[in-house]
Amino acid sequence: MSVFWLRAAAALYSCGLIYALLAIFRKGSRLFPPALLAFGAGAILHLVSIVELRAELGHFPLSNFYETTSFCAFLIAVLFLVAYSYYRVSVFAVCIFPLVFFMTLIGATEFPVAPWMNPQIRNAWLVLHVTTVLIGYAALVLASVGAVVYLVQERQLKRKEIAPVGSKLPPLATLDRLITVALNFGFVFITIGTVVGVVWVFVDRGAKWILDPKIDFFLFTWACYLALIFLRTSAGWRGRRLAWLAVGVLGCAIATWGIHFGLRSVLVQ
Amino acid sequence: MKLALAGINHRTAPVEMRERVAFRLDELPQALHTLQEQPGLREGMILSTCNRVEITATLEDGADVKPVLCSFLSSTHQMTAEAIQPHLYVFEDAQAISHLFRVASSLDSMVVGEPQILGQLKQAYTQAKEAGTVGSYLETVLTRAFSVAKRVRTETEIGQSAVSVGYAAVELAREIFGSLQRRRVMIIGAGKMSEAAARHLQGAGARDILIANRTQTRADELAQLFDGIVVPYTSIFQHLPEVDIVITSSGAPHYVLTRGAVRSAIDARRNQPMFFIDIAVPRNIEPGVNDLEHAFLYDIDDLQRIVDRNLKGRQEVAGQAEKIVSQEVERLLARLRSRDIAPTIVSLQEQLEGIRREAFDRYRNRLGELTSAQQDAVEAMTRSIINKIAHGPISELRREISGHPGEEASEVISFVRRMFRLGDRESDK
Repeated sequence: MSVFWLRAAAALYSCGLIYALLAIFRKGSRLFPPALLAFGAGAILHLVSIVELRAELGHFPLSNFYETTSFCAFLIAVLFLVAYSYYRVSVFAVCIFPLVFFMTLIGATEFPVAPWMNPQIRNAWLVLHVTTVLIGYAALVLASVGAVVYLVQERQLKRKEIAPVGSKLPPLATLDRLITVALNFGFVFITIGTVVGVVWVFVDRGAKWILDPKIDFFLFTWACYLALIFLRTSAGWRGRRLAWLAVGVLGCAIATWGIHFGLRSVLVQ
Repeated sequence: MKLALAGINHRTAPVEMRERVAFRLDELPQALHTLQEQPGLREGMILSTCNRVEITATLEDGADVKPVLCSFLSSTHQMTAEAIQPHLYVFEDAQAISHLFRVASSLDSMVVGEPQILGQLKQAYTQAKEAGTVGSYLETVLTRAFSVAKRVRTETEIGQSAVSVGYAAVELAREIFGSLQRRRVMIIGAGKMSEAAARHLQGAGARDILIANRTQTRADELAQLFDGIVVPYTSIFQHLPEVDIVITSSGAPHYVLTRGAVRSAIDARRNQPMFFIDIAVPRNIEPGVNDLEHAFLYDIDDLQRIVDRNLKGRQEVAGQAEKIVSQEVERLLARLRSRDIAPTIVSLQEQLEGIRREAFDRYRNRLGELTSAQQDAVEAMTRSIINKIAHGPISELRREISGHPGEEASEVISFVRRMFRLGDRESDK
């Protein structure tokens, strides 16, 4: 029963994820109260699941990776809620909501579920994952190209070497907007792709999925991306630093993709 | 008919001379009428700017260009012809067209590539047209001049770089912010230079202009000029985060804006970029500001360097533009000559067609009853004969004319007219 409550908690946390995705476009400010409510409710169900698991196991549930991840997610959620009740700072939600959701999602994959009823669903699910991730990568490539141009243009302006007319680069403000929008879109698609991918690999391969380093690296890339988005929205990182970050995340993404080449044989059953 | 151009400009005459010979806007209609009354003159246009006074006219073939135009200029300004003559340049036909094209393309301007001259030329054309002194010849040449100017502008980069400090500041601001719409500007110290820079920025769309100056009256004066907002000199730092562009030109002996002050302003703006233009000497902004992320600092020397480089670039580009101009002059000359030849070709064709029709009508009855198909065939056959005969002379004529200047060409034309017995027709006048 504990895993049911944990999955319900993950479902509630997903409201927080949706809020965070909207908030990076600065469109979700009115959605924050309901998202916070869902997040709080998720934390309560999370607690229920931990208590139940304790009863089922007879010891505190910290004996494997899933249990510790889940517990850690719970602690982060509680700390965020406590901090919020004191300081009313909502900017961290953009980072905390997706993070807690993902950790809980991972924690909820301890007990395998029934395998695919229909291979077509399996394949469609996989296509959805690949498509969304690739759209995300495309946006990330666009952002990185913009970032490189930004770095060149910024350097020229700083060094007072303005390129002669005809070979002019776009203005910094335009490039900054392009990078920002492309990064946001990329993040939304890669996040959706990640959720879909994690669920797919869990259903397909049971609890052992987390041992695959390829998948771990993908999650790491996603976490870097999350950090970038957080630095942009809350710390106001832009310009040169954001440009370098975008290039860095693209590097991670390329590495992840490279590692995925090895996955092909596993996917084709 | 020939085209002539006479005038003085900033290279041939000092300003005292230019201002005496210049025509005021309200004097122009009268002056144009006087111009047209000159002996041998058919069409005329007067271009009068602070750097040049030029008369473009078409005259009858025999007319003596220089005395006519010189006496016009001297008589309209109560001067002696001798006073003007040393400064006057006179061009005819190809040279006149070339000069006009160069003027329109801003190759003859003091600041090569400046865009105002084309507008001034267009205005002169409109005024002459209103006064009724522009005929089809001048019209052809002038509209060509406008499109040559446009071609030079689009095919070369002659007018695209900033050649004044104020405009260089705008160009740089555009490199950073893109559109300057809704950008805010703060002027610290209200000197003449900062006024010019602010005017350029406002012209480019900047929204609010904040003015901080030690003397209140001057600040108020500037505020009125730009519809700006006066802020107390002591509250500069408070307003700093609100503005995107800062222009300093105060006489302060120390830095008005230090690195620390700018850093906290940028922090307060959440890293939105800022552009600093320091026109003051000694400088008002600590040079280290340029090392801060999101801050771009240009001092007067930096701006001047950009202006100098752009001016040099324009000189280089001018070579390309000259090529376009000479190409276009050739093209127009060929077109004008073929305009001279057109009536002759038309009457040659009419002459041959007349002969054909006459012969056809005369012999038609002897051919008996013709079906309409047969009639068409006879028509086609006879027409083909005259076309074949005419083809050689017409194309040779065209080639001959386009390769020769005015007088030789008219000899060729009259020879052809005699050869084919082409009478003076109405279209030939």
